[in-house]
Amino acid sequence: MGGWIRLLLALVVIAAAAGWWLTRPVTLGPEDLPDYTPDAIAGERQFWAGGCASCHASPVDGKRARGDDKLRLGGGLELETPYGVFRVPNVSPHPDDGIGGWSMLDFVNAMQRGVAPGGKHYYPSFPYTSYAKIPVRDVMDLKAYIDTLPAVAGRIDEHSLGFPWSVRRGLGLWKLRYLDTERFAGPGDAHDPVARGRLLVEGAGHCGECHTPRDRFGGMDRSRWLAGGPDPEGKGRVPNITPAGENLADWSASDIAYYLESGFTPEFDTVGGTMVAVQENMARLDKADRDAIAAYLKAIPPVE
Amino acid sequence: MSLRTIHLPVLCVSLSLAALALAADEAVDFETIDESIDTRKALMEDVGAAAKPVGLMLRGERDYDWTVALESLRTWQDVGGEFGKHFPEGSESGSGTEAAPAIWEDREGFEAALTEWSEATSSAIAAAPATLDEARPVLGAVFNTCKDCHDGYRIETD
Ligand code: HEC
Ligand code: HEC
Ligand code: HEC
Repeated sequence: MGGWIRLLLALVVIAAAAGWWLTRPVTLGPEDLPDYTPDAIAGERQFWAGGCASCHASPVDGKRARGDDKLRLGGGLELETPYGVFRVPNVSPHPDDGIGGWSMLDFVNAMQRGVAPGGKHYYPSFPYTSYAKIPVRDVMDLKAYIDTLPAVAGRIDEHSLGFPWSVRRGLGLWKLRYLDTERFAGPGDAHDPVARGRLLVEGAGHCGECHTPRDRFGGMDRSRWLAGGPDPEGKGRVPNITPAGENLADWSASDIAYYLESGFTPEFDTVGGTMVAVQENMARLDKADRDAIAAYLKAIPPVE
Repeated sequence: MSLRTIHLPVLCVSLSLAALALAADEAVDFETIDESIDTRKALMEDVGAAAKPVGLMLRGERDYDWTVALESLRTWQDVGGEFGKHFPEGSESGSGTEAAPAIWEDREGFEAALTEWSEATSSAIAAAPATLDEARPVLGAVFNTCKDCHDGYRIETD
């Protein structure tokens, strides 16, 4: 009898240890950062492509920030999801309330491994599964740019999530399955518009986070890449933007690029919903970037 | 002929005129919910149709022509004065409306968005730009007011 119990206990301990090991945070070390002087000007492009302001800019009078208020990254926006309410944190360069005290490595680990300076896992409501694809120098440029923005005081409350979602450690398992940390090849690709567009769409632009349907564990269903699905942040559906999409099938590359620039469809109806903020960010990129995104969307396999 | 016989037809005519005037005045109030929704959607369809030629000019895919642009701006001006009358209580949903609840929750904001649109439209008409380069900023400003209102007061439904 006693033997059985001891065996059972041992198994529980082993399972717990395995679970603990499997859910441990996996991070980059100082040796993983290249010897590179970041360029804040180049970082601004990553900032708009990455849509950081759409989530982190503090709402003004309960409405989303516009114009220069987009540069005040004090957080506070609430994202309502089936798991509960996420409260977007302050990532302004404020030394106490924001990320002003962070090292470059802290920032890269947050953006590309989803791990906080103390080792906590981040929830994928922070789209690091996409940001993990960005070339590391571009991430370093982005930090240099954020460092130039206004420091905003004020800490944001923790999320209100139901159990088991409230247990961050469990995210380690989710990340084992869904966090693909292989980055794209470097700037060599940048001359081919489709490759440049792919990097923007899969990486900083994190278009798949909304336009790719999710499986039952909340990970992107890669077999239906950009094929649309229910809106993760609200009601309605996010459209299919593969060449088989209801609208996109008829849009030329220049129609897509113009939509990203101006927010008008070829019928001159306007962009709506959560895409408005994305479009406003896209409007801040160079024309060559929007053309590259359009070229990429025309080149991907159609998914019905 | 007595006074009576003259006055009766006059009275009848003026009574029916009054009834007509009353009916016209109250038309918007008497509109059923479904009619309100259909009317405002039809108005916005006209607005969208008028945007197309102007948009193509801005995209550089159609020659710039002020008379065509002016026609669109006039359409927008007319709709701008009319559109806000078709949002009675009870027409918040149904009949495929894309009107957002914010229109009823924040009526002032909605009216302000209408005013901004009308003002941008009037300035564009007053500017009467002669070339596409002059037209871009003024017409672009009008287009931005479309987006601003849709952003706050229109939702996608399906
Ligand atoms: C879709 C919304 C969204 C977007 C877009 C987004 N974030 Fe976040 N971000 C979040 C949320 C939510 C968290 C909190 C995650 C958690 O607590 O697990 C977060 C956390 C962070 C953190 C960690 C902050 C801390 O105090 O630990 C950093 C740094 C960060 N984001 C930077 C960025 C940058 C830079 C960008 C743009 C490239 C960006 N985020 C874009 C939602 C977003
Ligand atoms: C926060 C969620 C979100 C993100 C991120 C996002 N989109 Fe969208 N997108 C939407 C929604 C919602 C719509 C529908 C907009 C509407 O109804 O007007 C849309 C519409 C579109 C359309 C028009 C499709 C159609 O059929 O009308 C294109 C093109 C598009 N998105 C491209 C992109 C690209 C490129 C990116 C990445 C740079 C991106 N989107 C990122 C939510 C998102
Ligand atoms: C003051 C607010 C406001 C302004 C300004 C505005 N719209 Fe609209 N628009 C709406 C609302 C609200 C709806 C949805 C109406 C409904 O479905 O009940 C709409 C619907 C539309 C539709 C869809 C019509 C349909 O049902 O098929 C188009 C197209 C459109 N707008 C184009 C434009 C254009 C182009 C402009 C600028 C030139 C513009 N709108 C300016 C509020 C506005």
